[in-house]
Amino acid sequence: MSIYQSAVKKPITTALIFVAVAIFGIFSLTRIPIDLLPEIDTNAIMVMTAYEGASASDIENNVTKPLENSLNSVSDLKHISSQSKENISIITLEFEYGIDIDVATNDVRDKLDMVKQALPDEVNNPIIFKFGTDDIPIMMLSVTAAESTSGLYKILDDQVANPLARISGVGAVSVTGSAKREIKVYCDPHKLEAYNLSIEAISGIIGAENRNIPGGNIDVGSHTYALRVQKEFEDASELLNLVVGNYNGQVVYLRDVARVEDGLEERSQETYSNLKKGGMIVIQKQAGANSVAISKKVMEKLPEIQKTLPSDIELGIIVDTSDNIKRTINSLLETIIITFLLVIFVVYSFLGRWRATFIIMLTIPISLLGSLIYLFATGSTLNIISLSSLSIAIGMVVDDAIVVLENITTHIERGSRPKQAAVHATNEVAISVIASTLTMLAVFMPMTMVTGLSGVMFRQLGWIVSIIMIVSTVGALTLIPMLCSQLLKLNPYVGRFQRMFFTPINKALDALDRGYGKLLGWAVHHRKTVIMLGLGVFFGTILLLGPMMKTEFFPAQDNGRISIKIQLPIGTRQEITRDLALELAEKFMKEYPEITRCNVTEGMADSDNVFASMQGNGTHIISFNIALTDMEERERGLLQICDLMRKDLANYPIIRTFQVNAGGQQGGMSGQASAEIEIYGYDFAATDKVAQEITNRLKSYEKIDEVITSREEYSPEYQVDFDREKLSINGLNTSTAAQYLRNRINGALASYYREDGEEYDITVRYAPEYRQSIEDIENILIYNPQGQGIRIRDLGEVKEILTPPTIERKDRERMVKVTAVCPEGMALSDMVAIVNKEMEAIDIPTGITWDLGGTYEEQQESFADLITLMVLVVILVFIVMAAQFESLTYPFVIMFSIPFAIVGVLMGLVFTGTPMGIMAMVGLLMLLGIVVKNGIVLIDYTILCRERGMGILQSVVTAGKSRLRPVLMTTLTTVLGMVPMAIGTGTGSEMWRSMGMTVAWGLSVSTLITLVIVPTLYAVFAGFGIKKNRKKLAKLYAAK
Amino acid sequence: MKAIFLSYNQAYHEEILEIMSLCGLRGYTYWDVTMGRGSFKGEPHLGDHAWPTLNSTLLIMAEDRLVPEFKRRLKELDSKSEAMGMRYFTWTIDEE
Repeated sequence: MSIYQSAVKKPITTALIFVAVAIFGIFSLTRIPIDLLPEIDTNAIMVMTAYEGASASDIENNVTKPLENSLNSVSDLKHISSQSKENISIITLEFEYGIDIDVATNDVRDKLDMVKQALPDEVNNPIIFKFGTDDIPIMMLSVTAAESTSGLYKILDDQVANPLARISGVGAVSVTGSAKREIKVYCDPHKLEAYNLSIEAISGIIGAENRNIPGGNIDVGSHTYALRVQKEFEDASELLNLVVGNYNGQVVYLRDVARVEDGLEERSQETYSNLKKGGMIVIQKQAGANSVAISKKVMEKLPEIQKTLPSDIELGIIVDTSDNIKRTINSLLETIIITFLLVIFVVYSFLGRWRATFIIMLTIPISLLGSLIYLFATGSTLNIISLSSLSIAIGMVVDDAIVVLENITTHIERGSRPKQAAVHATNEVAISVIASTLTMLAVFMPMTMVTGLSGVMFRQLGWIVSIIMIVSTVGALTLIPMLCSQLLKLNPYVGRFQRMFFTPINKALDALDRGYGKLLGWAVHHRKTVIMLGLGVFFGTILLLGPMMKTEFFPAQDNGRISIKIQLPIGTRQEITRDLALELAEKFMKEYPEITRCNVTEGMADSDNVFASMQGNGTHIISFNIALTDMEERERGLLQICDLMRKDLANYPIIRTFQVNAGGQQGGMSGQASAEIEIYGYDFAATDKVAQEITNRLKSYEKIDEVITSREEYSPEYQVDFDREKLSINGLNTSTAAQYLRNRINGALASYYREDGEEYDITVRYAPEYRQSIEDIENILIYNPQGQGIRIRDLGEVKEILTPPTIERKDRERMVKVTAVCPEGMALSDMVAIVNKEMEAIDIPTGITWDLGGTYEEQQESFADLITLMVLVVILVFIVMAAQFESLTYPFVIMFSIPFAIVGVLMGLVFTGTPMGIMAMVGLLMLLGIVVKNGIVLIDYTILCRERGMGILQSVVTAGKSRLRPVLMTTLTTVLGMVPMAIGTGTGSEMWRSMGMTVAWGLSVSTLITLVIVPTLYAVFAGFGIKKNRKKLAKLYAAK
Repeated sequence: MKAIFLSYNQAYHEEILEIMSLCGLRGYTYWDVTMGRGSFKGEPHLGDHAWPTLNSTLLIMAEDRLVPEFKRRLKELDSKSEAMGMRYFTWTIDEE
């Protein structure tokens, strides 16, 4: 008994099986986490090696080069790049996407073990870091405080950061912009000298005095008592009364030589939120954790935390990535609902029956829910890719159901009882339904096997659509016949409304059938003209529109976030930086009312601040984090605002470089596109010159404002150059002398001050007023082992010099990178064209080469991957069709609809000015399967007509007339299914717009042309076949 | 006794069995899948790509008195939807 027969015979079992699928699907839906993109495994490993005291070039030669040479042989390595700066070498290994990063990490570790011997002795062990998208902060909270600023760090660390860090999934919580408390002992060098004291002595005394020491136990009578010396400071002011020495029989107290300040550490980052001073809390998630779930928990926790805080401290949200994710997912869900309604409308208008429409409609949720079970089972998320796959699939899942239902209806109309009609009609079309599903699988299954970034992105798409297609085919062969046998009737009652609505539609469709019949009749009699016209359209479009097409990687997404990093000349004082930061913040807030929160941070961060050390910090760096209102609520787009900000920033001569990142991050999946020019060459001066030249040339373009050179400028610094001879005469050496210097300027950590279970540093150093000039440094006293004080000016000299910048290398060559950000309206391909033109015009010295990296490189790789995939898909589709028709000619004829799909895609992209990106490429890929379906339906029926004894031309026209409606119907459901995606304006719609557009245009144009070209070509080839047969026969007879 | 050879579109099968029991006919020989083409009109039933429908065939030996009513009901069924296809032939046989 066939599957459909059983289904019809056992309606309850069949229905309940699908109900079970639906229930499982709904259950899965409630459990599937939400995210923006499918999880992308990290593909980079960082190796950090410290070598104290080595200069950038020493590091390059002694650490970076040997490491690079050995790491270069790790398998699957794509690029190896490095930064050699003072004291540290950072090597970044970039791997192909989709590799197992743990295996790669082990490989790296093995290589490091091998090379360790070759490194200088003082080099620390290399440290390995893995990082990926997970390390991006998912939430940033702003903190404003009116009075509690001095204790802010402790309050935030204890009462906000700690509870937040306890939430499962939260990785690091960093408190930025509020300084830590520190007990500062500021000494007066003159007094120290007078009393013959040193910083070291004072620091030692403080350390020795601030102690609690248990003294053992003592038995007194019948009891045992613990003995204890408890002399830890209970108040910072106690320090003042410490005895630090004796002078001429007098006791010298600390208060005689120093003052004690219980305040904030000297160097710290400052954060202003909407111009109010406060702090910032950055929350990063753990690898693999779900951002939406975490931010939900954080949001639940915040009111609780707020209650425990002093009343003047207010917590706000600067960035909540989950917000954007939720809005994106919601706008996609909306798209899906609209698509669903549109498809139902099309089906209803063509079928004109409520019951039939209802039956077909049922397949949509069941197939979609079926794919959700897959998502749940594999632990995937609901993200842009999986949801747009659902949206794409809606228009296609009904196709099989329509074919089956249409045939059942025909049988019923011929008089069959619904039950039998359902079985026999399904039997008739089962093979062609399975075949058309196979062509779709031929397109989507290979997608699950692509490698590289596009593979990671589109594996889900491939699986989801494949599963949906399989479920819908199974449904079409079981559920649909079962429902038809139960619900359909011969000659159903037709209401007045229905008659009013459908009479004109039917008339129009009939007229269309007749008109199409006439057109086909003309076409098959003027085959040469039609074919020439077709060729003309194809080559005309390719030649005319082809060069106008632009390309990109991923469209920039408007998530309402901007981050700006501004660098002033190195060494700019924090006060100046702060003034500029506030001025800019005020200006931005005034000029752009779209800004809801403007958060600006400047200054040098504490070394244990994870987030700040990743971002880079210093007294000359300002970083902005700006949140805009929702995309729907503002007129100016994100990119437009960014471009305006760039223009603003370009007007400040004090700013050395600035980087405005739309979307909060540079490049990548959703940021603004940029061209990265990598200039390779050993000579600093020569590569700098080329970098400067291209920067100037690019900046001369009206639209291009942001061109960043990766190499930092030479930074000025003071160096104390000790004379070794003089040092040794005085019984000193460089390291002891340097330690003295450090203790006086940076401070010596004497001890910890404990209060309420917290520890604060007690640092001893010169008071700020005694370390402000070169003379102050020269006057520093250094004590030799004999206790004699010698001034630094007698031991060496203090010089102002320039230190060379970080040495960057990529693929084992020195490199400087120039990044040019594409302004709004400029596609990546435009920028690449400009860069190529300008680079050609520059006279590049020998020994210097250049290349385009970054987004462009990834785009080229992904395009190459996708084009390979397309070739594969075309071959597979051909094989499926050849097997169905048991012929090589017919599939070849049907394949002619593909070039016209490309014509349609080109038209769509050029007319709407959309660049061709990865998403559009995927759209094109899907088209390969979708467009041939129409051809299959037409040719299949034509062959049927011929087998039933009609002539070639008559078959073509009859088949065309009879198949026009199903072709138009399935095409319309698919095209209209794409339209909501193509014209969507919700958050995140930029991402899928180009894909929707590609499929809608490609399929429409291809269908219109295919409807004429394919039957005509069929007529030509079938004619050849007949002629060949006749010749064979003639030969046979002649031979006889 | 009469022999009835009845070839019909598969879809009729259950209805024809009903008619048989209504008419008091019990015994039959049944071929599930048969193929054929009518002599005058109607589509062939060949179960292939061009003519996907199939026939079933019944051979029934019936008492003479039961045959007219059976034929009448079959005709009624056939006339409801002639496109489906059904043909029957009867001849007299000897009962051993």
